[in-house]
Amino acid sequence: MNIKPNLPEEIEPGSLHYSFRTDMKVNGWSWVAVLTSFVGEVFWLPHHKDWPVAARAVIALVPLLASLLWVRSVLQWMRGMDELHRRITQAATVFATVATLFIVTALHFLVVAGVFPSRFQSTAGFVVIWLVVCFYILGHNIFNRRYQ
Amino acid sequence: MKNCLRELRAGKEWTQSDLADKVGVSRQTINAIETEKYDPSLPLAFKVAKLFKLSIEEIFKHDDC
Repeated sequence: MNIKPNLPEEIEPGSLHYSFRTDMKVNGWSWVAVLTSFVGEVFWLPHHKDWPVAARAVIALVPLLASLLWVRSVLQWMRGMDELHRRITQAATVFATVATLFIVTALHFLVVAGVFPSRFQSTAGFVVIWLVVCFYILGHNIFNRRYQ
Repeated sequence: MKNCLRELRAGKEWTQSDLADKVGVSRQTINAIETEKYDPSLPLAFKVAKLFKLSIEEIFKHDDC
C-alpha cells in the first residue's frame, strides 16, 4: 500500500477533504505574513517614524521572511502530490503570480498617472498575499475543470 | 492517447480508489486517465503496467484497444 498523495482539496475550506490541520501546516505562515504586514504597515510604521531604523527595518521585513517560509511549506506540500495535482497546482500558482504582478504593476501605473490617489501606491504586503490566494483559487478552478 | 485501463480495472473488480491506492495517486488522476483527459507520465505508466503484469503498449495505445 502506498502513502496517500496530498490533495489540493485538503486546504480548500468547505470541500469534502478539508483538513484544518493540513491547511495550517501549509498556509500557517501566510497568516503570520498577513498579520505582521497589516499591523506593521497600517498601525506601526506610518505612526512611529521616530522609532530606530533597525526596529523599523525588522517590522518591515518580518512579513517577507514569513512569506518565504510560506513558499517553502507550499513547495513541500506540492512535492507530496501526485503528478496530475502537481501539474494543476503549478499552473494555478504561475497564474496567481502573474495575475498578481499584473494587478500590482497596473495599480502603480494608475497611481503615477494620477488616476488613483497616492494612498493606493503602497502595495501593502497583506494585500499582495490576499491577491495571490484569490488568484490561486481562481486558477485552480480553471485548470482543474479540464480533468473533471 | 487511448487506453484500456477501465476494462482492466473492471476485470479485477477494483474501484478507481482501489487502483489509485495501489499505484499511489489520487482517484481523480485514475478517472482522468480512464476518460483520456490526462496522459500519465512514464513512471506512472510503468507502475500501472507492472500492476496488471502487462507491457505499457498493451495498455496505452494511439489507436483503439
